[in-house]
Amino acid sequence: MTRYDEDGASAVRSPRHRRGFLFGAGALAAAGWTAGGTGSWFLKPAWSQGGKAIRIGIATDITGAMAPSGNSCWQVAQFAVEQINAAGGIAGRPVELFLEDTATDSKVAVANVRKLIQQQKVDLVIGGILSATRQAIKDPIVNRGRTLYIYPQLYEGEECTPHLFNTGPTPAQQVDTLIPYLIKTVGKKRFALPSANYVWPQLLNKHARTVIEANGGEVVFEEYYPLDQPEYSATINKIRDGKVDCVLSTIVPPGLQPFSKQLYESGFQKNGGHVVSVYFDENSLNFVPERELEGVYSCLDFFHTVDDPYSKAMLAAYDKKFPGSKYLFTAGSSSSGTYRGIRLYEAAVKATNGDTAREATSAALQNAKIANGPGGGAEMVPGKMHAKMNMYIAQCRRTDGKLSWSIVQRDEMVDPKEC
Amino acid sequence: MPDFLIRLAFDIVAFTSVMVLIVLGLGVIASMMGIFNFAHGELVMLGAFTVFLAHDAGIDIWLGILAAPLVVGLFGYVLERSIIRRFYASPIIAMLGTYAIGLIIREIVRGVLGGHYKSVPEPWPGFFTVGGLEFSNWRSFIIAITLAVIVACWLLLSRSSLGLQVRGSLENPMLARACGISTRRLYSLTFAFGSALAGLAGALIVPLYQLSADMGLRFLVQGFLSVMLGGVGTFEGPVLGAAAVGAMASGLPWLVPPVLADPLVFVIALIIVKLRPQGFIAGVRR
Repeated sequence: MTRYDEDGASAVRSPRHRRGFLFGAGALAAAGWTAGGTGSWFLKPAWSQGGKAIRIGIATDITGAMAPSGNSCWQVAQFAVEQINAAGGIAGRPVELFLEDTATDSKVAVANVRKLIQQQKVDLVIGGILSATRQAIKDPIVNRGRTLYIYPQLYEGEECTPHLFNTGPTPAQQVDTLIPYLIKTVGKKRFALPSANYVWPQLLNKHARTVIEANGGEVVFEEYYPLDQPEYSATINKIRDGKVDCVLSTIVPPGLQPFSKQLYESGFQKNGGHVVSVYFDENSLNFVPERELEGVYSCLDFFHTVDDPYSKAMLAAYDKKFPGSKYLFTAGSSSSGTYRGIRLYEAAVKATNGDTAREATSAALQNAKIANGPGGGAEMVPGKMHAKMNMYIAQCRRTDGKLSWSIVQRDEMVDPKEC
Repeated sequence: MPDFLIRLAFDIVAFTSVMVLIVLGLGVIASMMGIFNFAHGELVMLGAFTVFLAHDAGIDIWLGILAAPLVVGLFGYVLERSIIRRFYASPIIAMLGTYAIGLIIREIVRGVLGGHYKSVPEPWPGFFTVGGLEFSNWRSFIIAITLAVIVACWLLLSRSSLGLQVRGSLENPMLARACGISTRRLYSLTFAFGSALAGLAGALIVPLYQLSADMGLRFLVQGFLSVMLGGVGTFEGPVLGAAAVGAMASGLPWLVPPVLADPLVFVIALIIVKLRPQGFIAGVRR
């Protein structure tokens, strides 16, 4: 998801000096900001000696509005790199991690990403959650910085910059199997597309509309709201009068809560309507009231309930490393894309026998393939800068009194259809 | 069609009540003390946060809602005694200072919440039915409480001796002090009272919306618009302004695309302010 939030810009700034950073990080840790010990701005395995380590830079939102996702991303990166180092590194070389805060703010992001490139001289940058952040940092990384960049978040597509690899799902992957399922299996015909007004919903809806119409469904209305709109009675009325039976919502917090509450109170679900939201994951269980969440459909590359031995063992190991962490390993927070990205990069550097020169790894990454990962394996589509991955359609259901995501359909290696 | 109109009217009145509730505290402080409190949104958020903490600790939500105005009122009192009173001499510094206070509160709460959005359930969920139409209990409750709070505030200001002192200090602080009224104490109390109203508003609206560090920001901007529109210096002005802004904000999306409705509220309000710079009701202090 690529939400842009102007208010988030007022978050804590990244300090300029290292001493300032350490002080700031200590203060953040004391305030409970950075569970998982991000006070260490740089992770080095014990056996890493000399100059042969592979250096990966993580540029993500540790502070600001996207902090929950950014911290998940950072924890997942530590987790993945620890696994890689424990298994002997990549082609015999250890991996070191460097963190810079992008602070949910493009200006801060650009300045800090430059530090990763110029001071730390990293071989790869992973990160950025909002599309605005990606747009701001891709030029300093890929063009001026001559460095590889992996963008891990589910997003609106259309990013075809050379040396910029996308490891999260695209609109085609999220919608191409989901909408036929809703129309043919669930039996829904009349869709409403209420949306937050920014780039991700707009491009997702553009694709969804063609898929809905191609499958014999009908879009009753497609409407955009300010991100923090608190009142939706006009929308609810259109849903009721238009006899909508499926609401494909891309409304994000803070507008989400009043919308979902007013929709529920209008009796939409009680009268047989269904709500679909393709960024809902395990985190949603914490911020959407149970009665409004039950029955919702989502479609992502990973759910905790996915029946895959590798994913289950991976989750258990993550929970062991970060016990009780509030930053969950979920698909919506870019965690699955971060893990997949690091593993795909590992596969690419193995293919080059440890050569981390940009042109060589970039060429190898075009054909990189992993057999396992969150939700299953993945492979880059050569020349397309995006990855094929398994997609799961899930419905939030109550089992033993608790809500969880029941997988209703699994689609193997869905094509990203980009570039 | 009448069904549709009743539903529309209910939705508009419910949202307008929320706006009025939030603006009351802001208006009281702006009118009585001449200070635009940019931390007001955060005080609203602290009220919501109190309810969330109570709910999280397993305490009854109703107790949390009762505690919120007391906690935030006390917080406001301490804030006034320690910081705000140093700003009275220059209103511009006061704006910047209160904005800074708001920023600090916001980022601390963001840290405590880990940046997440939190939900608090309605303490009185469900609907009641009148003539085949369903009305949300909690929204109706908010409408009733808003009316009660307006009446109580008005009685306090116009009928009690404290209200007389407040009105006296407002009209002529120097003369009030000469009459033995401690304006310093009055200002502390007024600020605490305004904060308590913000806390109450936050506590009541959090089940409708969601608790997040930024929840106060949106209402803050519309709140200022309401105070400008209604006119500073009276009790009724901001209330009327809030009613107008609330009705526009919830009514316009029925007529125009929602993305246009938001700026349109500002455009209409600014035109009104241009035509009537003193606000709906001209006060003593401008």
